[in-house]
Amino acid sequence: MRAQFPQRTLLSLALSLLFLSMARATRGCSSSSPQLLSQLQSQANITGDTRLLLEPYILLQELNTPTLRAACREYPVTFPSEDTLRALSKPHFLSTVYTTLGRIQHQLDALRQQSPKTKVFPLLERAKWNVQGIRNNIYCMAHLLNHPLETPNPTEAGSGASPSTTTTPSIFQTKIDNCRFLWGYHSFMGSVGRVFREWKDGPSRSRRHSPRHSLLRAWRKGASRIRPSRSSQSPMSRVQVPW
Amino acid sequence: MAFSVALHPAFLLVVLSLKTSRSEVLGEPFQLTPEILTVSTESKLQQVNLQWTVPNLTHQELKMAFQIEISRINTSNIVWVENYSTTVKWNQLLHWNWKSEIPLECVTHFIRIRAMVDDAKYLPQNSWSNWSSWKEVSVQVSVAPNTLLIFPDNKLLEEGSNVTICLLYGQYLYNVSCMLQKEPIHGEQLDSHVSLIKLNNVVFHSVSGTNIHCKAMNATKMIFGTVLFVSKVLEEPKNFSCETQDFKTLKCSWEPGVDTALVWSQQDSQSYTLYESFSGRRELCDHRNSHNWQITDDSQETYNFTLTTENNLRKRSVNLIFNLTHRVHQKAPHDVTLENIDARKANMTWKVLSRGNNYILLCQIELQHEREVIHEHNVSVHMSASYLFSDLEPDTKYKARVRCADANHFWKWSDWAQKEFCTPEAAPSQALDVWRQVRSENGSYVVTLFWKPLLKSQANGKIVSYNIVVENQDRLSESEHYSVPAPALGTQLSLDPCSYKIHITANNSVGVSPESVMVLSNDSGHEEVHEKRIKGTKDGFHISWEPTSGDALGYVVDWCVHSRDQHCDLQWKNLGPNTTSTNITSGAFKPGVRYNFRIFEKSMQQKAQLLEKQTGYTQELAPLENPEVTINNFTSNSFILSWPSYDSDFQSAFIEGYHVYLKSKEMQCHPKGKRMTLPDYWVLCEYEIKDPEQKAFTVENLRPESHYEFLVTPYTSAGQGPNETFTKVMTPDENSNMLLKIILPMTLCVLLIIIACYWKSQWVKEKCYPDIPNPYKSSILSLIKSKKNAHLIMNVKDCIPDVLEVINKVEGPKTQCIVSGNPHNEDVSMKPPSSVPTEDGSSGSVPFFFFENFTYDQSAFDSGSHGLIPGPLKDTPCQLGLLTPPEKLLNVLEKDYMKSLAESPTEETSLIYVSQLASPMGGDKDSLATNPPMPGHCSEYKMQMAVPGRLPSLALSENNSLTSEILLGQGEQ
Repeated sequence: MRAQFPQRTLLSLALSLLFLSMARATRGCSSSSPQLLSQLQSQANITGDTRLLLEPYILLQELNTPTLRAACREYPVTFPSEDTLRALSKPHFLSTVYTTLGRIQHQLDALRQQSPKTKVFPLLERAKWNVQGIRNNIYCMAHLLNHPLETPNPTEAGSGASPSTTTTPSIFQTKIDNCRFLWGYHSFMGSVGRVFREWKDGPSRSRRHSPRHSLLRAWRKGASRIRPSRSSQSPMSRVQVPW
Repeated sequence: MAFSVALHPAFLLVVLSLKTSRSEVLGEPFQLTPEILTVSTESKLQQVNLQWTVPNLTHQELKMAFQIEISRINTSNIVWVENYSTTVKWNQLLHWNWKSEIPLECVTHFIRIRAMVDDAKYLPQNSWSNWSSWKEVSVQVSVAPNTLLIFPDNKLLEEGSNVTICLLYGQYLYNVSCMLQKEPIHGEQLDSHVSLIKLNNVVFHSVSGTNIHCKAMNATKMIFGTVLFVSKVLEEPKNFSCETQDFKTLKCSWEPGVDTALVWSQQDSQSYTLYESFSGRRELCDHRNSHNWQITDDSQETYNFTLTTENNLRKRSVNLIFNLTHRVHQKAPHDVTLENIDARKANMTWKVLSRGNNYILLCQIELQHEREVIHEHNVSVHMSASYLFSDLEPDTKYKARVRCADANHFWKWSDWAQKEFCTPEAAPSQALDVWRQVRSENGSYVVTLFWKPLLKSQANGKIVSYNIVVENQDRLSESEHYSVPAPALGTQLSLDPCSYKIHITANNSVGVSPESVMVLSNDSGHEEVHEKRIKGTKDGFHISWEPTSGDALGYVVDWCVHSRDQHCDLQWKNLGPNTTSTNITSGAFKPGVRYNFRIFEKSMQQKAQLLEKQTGYTQELAPLENPEVTINNFTSNSFILSWPSYDSDFQSAFIEGYHVYLKSKEMQCHPKGKRMTLPDYWVLCEYEIKDPEQKAFTVENLRPESHYEFLVTPYTSAGQGPNETFTKVMTPDENSNMLLKIILPMTLCVLLIIIACYWKSQWVKEKCYPDIPNPYKSSILSLIKSKKNAHLIMNVKDCIPDVLEVINKVEGPKTQCIVSGNPHNEDVSMKPPSSVPTEDGSSGSVPFFFFENFTYDQSAFDSGSHGLIPGPLKDTPCQLGLLTPPEKLLNVLEKDYMKSLAESPTEETSLIYVSQLASPMGGDKDSLATNPPMPGHCSEYKMQMAVPGRLPSLALSENNSLTSEILLGQGEQ
């Protein structure tokens, strides 16, 4: 436990910085797409760390056994896989991530309500705002690339409805489901971070254009790819997103 | 129809009453068989609820006993039998429940009931009624194939209790293993689809519950589980009490014990409820450990509280009954004041919250000094009170505090009310403890006065200065005043050698201390007494002395803490008149350090006379170093070792003697020494010098030209000095002295001869090196000139030199500069050239004769002249070579040569040589012109060169710049 203290301190520091940057993001969109992209990548990488939520949750819920840890990863809640995300066009990618994060936000909120007066409660609270910050940045990125998302207000939380439960699942099963959700959440954010890195690395490897122009070009290219037909499925229909 | 309907119950009632009355009258037993109406289950509680009635009951009330049986799996497997008694009313529905240890979902239960009248109003009945029919109790669950159901789910239970876990297997599921957290758990198979796991004495793991999870071998990807929420046992509140300070609020407090809350909404923290029975009020406590109960009824004196704590599993209560007036926690006194009466007295006043004149409080007063209670007192108080503190110390900080309680029904002291104060200063109450050290310096006394600081209780304030009055006893009119500012603890006075009376006092802001008096006599500091050695212990020294007079005022023992240092740090101890011994202890005493004690006797006139000196060690140590030994009278057979004495203050113990060790090969020891044989034929002789004052030792009977090694080390009672390296010596040869005796006189003789020779050098010179007469100064020259017969004497001017050699004599350092390829000119002159160039340019073999003529003035050499040019040629050959080309040199030579001959015919010249025709014949030195000089007695000629007269002049080559060897042809001259 003592050995974890410095890591937690570093994580807290990183989270504080992240929160600051997110707070800044909520005030208005940045005009610099490279800066925004870099910020998004950092945010995704940081929130992809399982030490932020999953590990504290596992310890709190006494799931720290090899069998239960494995169970957390056996059937992760279906998030868009990294390959799926990479295959998406950039508008679709941003849209998919934005939508998924909205659902994640709701689930985090539900999870928070399940765990009052526990050690993970403040972590969940913070994670919820982190996700909100990332969503805002994604919204700004789409706006910056002249392809705004179909969402009225960037600072408003997603309006996805909570999953309706017909039967009350056992607490054990809920623990496992929450654990799987957190695992999926971290994995998803890690995947998003890696995709963002590819965006970032792309121009320097191939072209000498400015990132803004490259992104715009890539965006238009992607947009032109998704625009044509009505039959082309929405991002949500192409990837299976829970809730 | 309506009539018949109404008539039928009435008929039955009549029949029943008749039957009953008949039974009552006859006293016959009658049986009432209960009838089960419903059997329900509460799965979460694993509870079976039974509802039944007693048909045919004719009485309004009847006490009855019921027996209920429960069987599991099949009716024959009875697992529970319980008797239940109650009063049954007519047409009443009766209830009973039972909790199963096994979840009801797992097995089927059966239940039946029978009854018996158990009423004293009737005849006792010893037989039960018939059993009701079995009713099946089951909770239907469907288990899907390849799934596992675990019951109970989300079970809440208390730590230490037992629980049975039931597993229901779906189809195709087998080999299921379960774990409680990380520990495997095993159960018993009830049937092919059900197994039970019994867990006894479960322990608390986490507020999140204890996970039980199972996996089937054929469904590895599936995990099944349940959570046991094990609650800590609810504890009874401890130390429950209530009190009031103002009769408006009762503050009740308790120790709550552990929090039994669990997450997942399974159990909140236990609640606390206060119930007062007289008023019938119940209040939910707003804190876990306290509650403020408002007193609404002033007339209520007695309170009966029940504190109940409760969680989902348990309820615990504690009770408290008390009279309100007995639970008064008085508020702290207020308006506390303190007034200093004088330096030793102060008055404290305070007020208390009172409930009238009849209400008496008991107050406790404390006086603290430096956090230590020095005074405590209790007083009875109505409204206000005061207390006088006396015997206080001047200039001292105190803390006074007071607290009160109900005097009639003591419950609890109030909080303290406190005040700090400081007493004013007073004049110092004690004379200084003074002492002095006297030493003579340049005919006057240097008196160093010392005093010890007054204790705080003696100083009565901050000492500002020390006053010293020195009265001259011999001249009473003279007295000097000195003031030494604090915190100095001594001063130094320089006094004339007279008797003095010294008064010393200490001053603070209020007054002066009593004076301390010392008298110095004329002989103070000159007393000579015998020094006695004493033996100390690790704790210190015991000093005892013999009093010399019977009227001593007292004694003083003084000593230096740092005897080895310049800084003495004088300490002293005053002792009473009847004392003849004392123990001197000090933490500063160190082993191996000599301490010198002086005992003084103080007379009635305050005069201190030195009685004794005592010196000693708390612990003697072995010497730390050996003396530096010098060897004297070193001969081939003996030598003397001597060493200086130690400074006594630097001795680590009293030196008792010395050990001298002598080591050599095959040596014979002196009979007084101890002989020890060492390896390699070495012998060690040890000699002991028992007199510490002896500082020399003669080592005798040594062999000449032998190696010896010695070591001198002192020894004390604690041992001898360090084992250092032996000093090596070698005895000289026996003949060396003899040689010394011969060589020394011989050397002296030779020296004397040399001195004599030097002294007689003129005489020797005259005898051995007579001066060659100067022909120009010769008397014969004037004779010849006068006779105009100049041809009889060869004039130098008339000589035609055949060869002119310029000897360029260079001083030692100048010879260092030799141009490569040009040998030194003296070497050249000594070495005849093998050939001389002729006029036609050919070189031929020409005989040369070299000689040196000493007839020229030696001073020319000494003056540094070189060659023929007196001035510039003093430079080095290098300079010569550079500045003077050979052909010019030749001209200069010729010119100067001629000039010198012409201008100084009779004077000494710097010309150092002139070539002459060599003559094989010897001649008188005086017959220079006619006879060529020949080396005579005590004379020596260097070679000069003579060449034949026909030789042409030699053209100097450019390479001959240094070696000025000039050949002149006869005709040319």
